Amino acid sequence: MTREWHRIGLLTDIPRRGARCVTSPFGRIAVFRTADDEIFATEDRCPHRGGPLSQGIVHDASVTCPLHNAVIELATGFMQGPEGGRVRVFATRVDPLTRVIELSLAEAAGVPEAAE
Amino acid sequence: MSAVMETVNETTRPFIAVTEVWVPKDGRLVWSSGDYGALADFAAISEKQSFAKGEGLPGKAWAEARPVVLKGFDGSYFLRAEAARVAGLTSAVAIPVFAGNDLKAVVVVLCGDDAERTGAIEIWHEENGLLLLDDGYYGAARHFEWVSQHTHFPRGQGLPGGVWAANAPMLLRDLGSGYRFIRADSAGRAGLTTGLGLPIAVPGRRTYVLTLLSARGTPIARRFELWNVRSSRSGAATEAVLADGICQREGPLWDDEHERRVAAWQGAVGEALGSGLPLVRTDTALLTAGYASMVALPLYRDGVLAHVVAWYY
Amino acid sequence: MQKLVVIGAGMASGRVLETLFETDPGAFEVTLFNAEPRGNYNRIMLSPVLSGEKSFEEIVTHDDAWYGANRVVCRFGEKVVAIDRTRKVVVGENGEVPYDKLIVATGSVPFIVPVEGRDLPGVITYRDLDDTNRMIEASARAGGRAVVIGGGLLGLEAAAGLRLRGMEVTVLHLTGHLMDRQLDEAAGYLLRRDLEKRGISVMTRASTERILGENQVEAVELADGTRLAADLVVMAVGIRPSVELAKAAGLAVNRAIVVDAQMRTSDPDVYAVGECVEFNGTLFGLVAPLYEQAKILAGCLLGRPGSFAVKELSTKLKVTGCDLFSAGDFAAGDGREEIVLRDPAQGVYRRLVIEDDRLVGAVMYGDTGDANWFFDLIREGAPVSAMRETLIFGQSYQGTAPLDPMAAVAALPDDAEICGCNGVCKGKITGAITAKGLTSLDEVRAHTKASASCGTCTGLVEQLMAMTLGAAYNPAAVKPMCPCTDLSHGDVRRLIVAKELKSIPEVMQELEWKTSCGCAKCRPALNYYLLADWPGEYADDDQSRFINERVHANIQKDGTYSVVPRMWGGLTSASELRAIADVVDKFSIPTVKCTGGQRIDMLGVKKEDLPAVWADLNAAGMVSGAAYGKALRTVKTCVGTDWCRFGTQDSTGLGVKIERFMWGSWTPAKVKMAVSGCPRNCAEATCKDVGVICTDAGYEIHFAGAAGLDIKGTEVLTQVKTEEEALEMIVALVQLYREQGHYLERIYKWLKRVGMESIRAAIVEDAEKRRHYFERFAYSQRFAQRDPWADRASGGVAPHEFRPMAEISYREAAE
Repeated sequence: MTREWHRIGLLTDIPRRGARCVTSPFGRIAVFRTADDEIFATEDRCPHRGGPLSQGIVHDASVTCPLHNAVIELATGFMQGPEGGRVRVFATRVDPLTRVIELSLAEAAGVPEAAE
Repeated sequence: MSAVMETVNETTRPFIAVTEVWVPKDGRLVWSSGDYGALADFAAISEKQSFAKGEGLPGKAWAEARPVVLKGFDGSYFLRAEAARVAGLTSAVAIPVFAGNDLKAVVVVLCGDDAERTGAIEIWHEENGLLLLDDGYYGAARHFEWVSQHTHFPRGQGLPGGVWAANAPMLLRDLGSGYRFIRADSAGRAGLTTGLGLPIAVPGRRTYVLTLLSARGTPIARRFELWNVRSSRSGAATEAVLADGICQREGPLWDDEHERRVAAWQGAVGEALGSGLPLVRTDTALLTAGYASMVALPLYRDGVLAHVVAWYY
Repeated sequence: MQKLVVIGAGMASGRVLETLFETDPGAFEVTLFNAEPRGNYNRIMLSPVLSGEKSFEEIVTHDDAWYGANRVVCRFGEKVVAIDRTRKVVVGENGEVPYDKLIVATGSVPFIVPVEGRDLPGVITYRDLDDTNRMIEASARAGGRAVVIGGGLLGLEAAAGLRLRGMEVTVLHLTGHLMDRQLDEAAGYLLRRDLEKRGISVMTRASTERILGENQVEAVELADGTRLAADLVVMAVGIRPSVELAKAAGLAVNRAIVVDAQMRTSDPDVYAVGECVEFNGTLFGLVAPLYEQAKILAGCLLGRPGSFAVKELSTKLKVTGCDLFSAGDFAAGDGREEIVLRDPAQGVYRRLVIEDDRLVGAVMYGDTGDANWFFDLIREGAPVSAMRETLIFGQSYQGTAPLDPMAAVAALPDDAEICGCNGVCKGKITGAITAKGLTSLDEVRAHTKASASCGTCTGLVEQLMAMTLGAAYNPAAVKPMCPCTDLSHGDVRRLIVAKELKSIPEVMQELEWKTSCGCAKCRPALNYYLLADWPGEYADDDQSRFINERVHANIQKDGTYSVVPRMWGGLTSASELRAIADVVDKFSIPTVKCTGGQRIDMLGVKKEDLPAVWADLNAAGMVSGAAYGKALRTVKTCVGTDWCRFGTQDSTGLGVKIERFMWGSWTPAKVKMAVSGCPRNCAEATCKDVGVICTDAGYEIHFAGAAGLDIKGTEVLTQVKTEEEALEMIVALVQLYREQGHYLERIYKWLKRVGMESIRAAIVEDAEKRRHYFERFAYSQRFAQRDPWADRASGGVAPHEFRPMAEISYREAAE
C-alpha cells in the first residue's frame, strides 16, 4: 500500500512554538511547529488523561499538556516520566520551496496507549 | 570574624615594590590593575600609560613572546624611567600570559635597589635539554646571583628542572639544604627559603620557567596558593582545587582528605578563574587573614587554563 | 577512667585517639608507645617531604601540645618487648604499663629483597621519616646515583623526589610495566614516559641479583649481568604486616592479626587497627580503610555500635605533574565491558570497566579531574546504561554543560543598580564588603541598605557576597526558577530590569538559559515579567501563555471550555441575564452555574463556538471576566448604603469602581478582591487578596488573605478616609505586587517573603511613592485594558486558535 500524503496547509499557518488541529477519521490530530520550524504531528489526546496536546505550551521539540503538565516528546510520542505512555505519531513532510505541509495517515507509527 | 581586622604587622618589607597587570585593548596594552604600595605618583602615571606591541617593557614581552628582565632603566627602552627613578624603582620583570597564541595579559613586577632586600626573580629557559638562566633580579644576593648564572639544571632536577619536567607549578619549602647543588648552599647562606616555580607558556616550542625565591627578611609573599583548574565541556574553567599552599599565619593550607575548591567568580581566585586574566587586588585585608594585597596569576598549558597561582602580601 | 595502651603511633592509631578524645575525653587514660622517636604524622606525605614540597612540621598530625592537652603519656622511641595478656600488662624497654584495653597498631615493615649485600650501608627501605632524611642527606652529597628497586607507588615517588634533589636515578621493576597492581599496560607506558621526561631511567623486567660494595654500597647487579653504579639503593618492593608481637602474645594471626568487624582480636580486651590487621582475609595498605577502621574502633571502645566493611579503594600517585588515578577492579574478564579513551597529543588515557551495567573499575592517566566522580560511581554501584555513550568523558559531559550563574552577576558593571528600593549599585555593595569586612547578609543590609526593604534583590546580593568573599561565604541555596536555569525568580526579575532585557529570546540568551525554548514553567513567567516591566514595549507572546490565557476561556477536563463574563461588583441586569440565557440556548451549552465570585459561568462550550458566544455577549455589553487568568478576577461586594440597614459606605459602588479601573491587568497570580459595607463583612473581604471593610470613619484596607489550599485572614494595611484614597492605595498595592511578585506567588505569600515593613514603607508612609506606583499601573492599563473577547470575536486576533487548519474526510483517507 502506498503512503497517501494529504496537503493540510502552509508552514506559516501554524504559529511558531504552537500547534493547529486537523480533523480526520482517526480523530483530531495536532500539528506542531517548533522554534526551529520543524513540524510534528500527533494524536491530539494526551496519554495521561486525554487532554488536548494542541493546546499545550511547545518548547524545544516537546509539548506540555495543559491539563496536568505531562511532557510529550513530539518526535516519538513518548510521555516523559516514570509512568511512560505514548501517543500516536503521524508522518509529515514540508516542501522546502512552497512550504506546504503534508500529512500521512496510512502508516501511523507507534501503539496507541492513551490511559483512558 | 571580628568587625575590623587589622592588617598584618609589617615587620618584613616586601621584595617586590610594585605589581601591575596590563591587558591588550585595541592593539595596545592598557592598565588593568596594580599594587603600588605608597608610590602614589608612580601609580598615577602608570594608570594612564599604554604600550604598543614592542614598545616599552610590557610591549617587549608581548612582541618577543617571552618573559623579560630589565635591570637599570636609565637609557633603556623603559618608558617610565624618570618616574621610576623618582619612586626608587630600579628593575622590573615582565611576565606575558599567553593562552596558545593569544596574549591575555602582561604582568610586570618592579623592585627597588637597596643593600638589604634579598630575593630572586629568575627566568630559566631550555637549551639543548638543560635549563639555563636567561636572566634574573636578585636584590642584594650577589653571590647567589653569580652561582645561578653558572648553574644549569637537567630535566627533573632542582626547582627549575622539576617545574619544567612536571609542567606544573611547585612550591619548595626549603631551598637551602638537602640538594646536590652548590646553588642550594648559596641559597641557604643568602637566607633564601621558599621557592615558587611556575611554567610560563609562550607561543612556539620554547619553555620558560619563572622562579620567585623568598628570603625570610624580605619575602616575595607571606602566603602562597597553588590551584589546579577543572574545565567544563566547552573548555570554560568551572572550578579550581587547591593543590598546595602555605601561609605564615594559617600554616599549611592543603588538606589531603578534603579538597578545598573555589568556583569561577568566587572571590579573587575565582575571578582569575572565570576571566582567565591575572589580577592584582589591594582591598583584600579583611577578607584574607589580614593580607592587604594579592596577585592571582593564571597559567595556561596548550592554550587551556591549567593552574591559578596566588600570592598574598 | 579506663586505662588504654596503644602500641604504635601511626596514622590509624592517631585517628583512633583523635576520635576518642573528641567524643568522650574523659573515658580513657592513654599511654602511647612508638618505636620511632616521634609522635603521629601523616606517613603518606613523606614523598612530598622527600621532594621538598612539604616540610616535616607540616605533616605532623599530632604535636606535643595536643598530647599534653589530652594527657597522653608518650613513650616515643621505646620498643615494646612483650604483651602479657594474663596480667594485662604491656612490657616496654623502659618498664611495664597495665591496661584495661589494648590497641595493637604495629603497622607494617618494608619487604627486604633477600639478596646478597642487602645489609650494606647505603641500602635503605622507605618507610618512615628517618628513611626520608637519609635519602635527603644522600642526595646532598655530590655525584649521587640512586637505584630504586620497585616500580610501585612508593618507589616511583621516591625516584621523583630523589631526582628533584639532584640525584641520577634508575628504577628497577620486576614485571613488564610500572605500577602493575594499579595500572594497565597503556597507562603504565604513559607513566614511564613522564618519568623519563624527568630524566629518570626506568628498567622493566629487571630482576636484582645482588648488591655490591665493600664498606658501602657501590653497585647493583641484575640477573642478566648488567651493573648499575649506585651510592644509594632504595628498596620499595612492598610491605608486610608487623605481627611478631601479637604472635608472641598468643593472638590469632594469619597473614596479619585477625580481627572482627569491631576490630577486636581473639582476645576481647585487645584490639588491632591499621596495616597489621586482617579482616575477612583482606589486608590493608591504603589509608582510606584505615581511617574507617579507626572510626569503628573508637566507637566500639566507647560502647557505640559500628561495623567495619571493606569498601572500594582508590590510588593517587603523589608526583607533581604525573596525573594518575585508579580505583576498583579494572581487570578485563568475561561479562565485562570496557570503554577506552586515548588522546595521545594530550597524553590522556582513560579506561572504564563495566560489569552488569555498573562501573566496577577505572584507570586514568593525565586529566584526572573527574576522578572523584568516577570513584563515587564505583562505590555506589549506580547503573550507568543511561550515560553509556558519554560516561568516558566525565562528569561535565553528562547532559548539557553546567553553566555558571555567577558569570552573569560578575559581568554587571559597578554602577548597575542591584537594590531598587534603596538605590544601591553593585560597586557600593562590593566596596562595602571589602572595606568593612562584611560577612553576612544582615551586615550588608545594615551597612548598605541593599536588600533591606523588599528583599527582591536578596538573591543577587548573596551572589555578590559569594563573588567578593569567595568560598568563605556560603549563601543560602538559591532556588532556581525551573530546570532551565540556576537563577531564582528574584534574580531573573532584577536582571531583566538591570540589563534592560525586553524579549524572551534576549532573556534566554543574556542569562544563559540551558534550553533553547525554555519550558512550560519559565516561559509563562518570563512573559509575565516582561509584560509587567515594559508596558507598551513588550509584545505579549501568545505561545508562552497557558492555554486558558491564550484562548481567554477555562479549559475543562473534556477539552471544552467555560465562559464567564464580567459582572461588575456582582451586579447584573435583566438584559445581561437575557443575553446569557439566549447564548445558552443558541449554543446548547450544557451547564450554567453561579460562581463564588458573584457571577455566572457557562460550562461545556466547544472551542470553535467561543468567538460566536463572545460576539453575542459583547453585543449585550459584556466583556471577559478573566476567570482564567493570572489577573484581577472579581471584586465581590455586599449592598452597603444603597440598601443595607447596616451599611456605612457605598461598598457596591466602590467595588464597581475598583473593578472598572483594574480589570484587564495581568498579575503574578490571580487576585480576588471584595468590599464589605460594614464590619459584618458579608462580602467576606477578610479572606481575599485585597479587601475593604467600610466603617463610619472611612475604609479599612486589608490584604494578603487566602481561602483556597491555605486559609488565612487578611492583614490591615492602613485606614483611609475617602474613596479616592482607597482606590489609590489599592492600585498602588497591586502595582507593587506586580513588580515584586514571583510568577504564581499569591499576595499572601509575597507579603510573607518581603515583610509588612517594606510594603508600608513603599506605599503607605510615602505619599509620593504611592502616587508613582498608582501612575505606573495606570500607564500599564493603557495597553492592557482591552476586551480580549472583542478582539477575537470578530476574527481579528488569532483566528487560527479556533479553527482546524485542515479537514481530511473519510473519502480522502480511504484512498
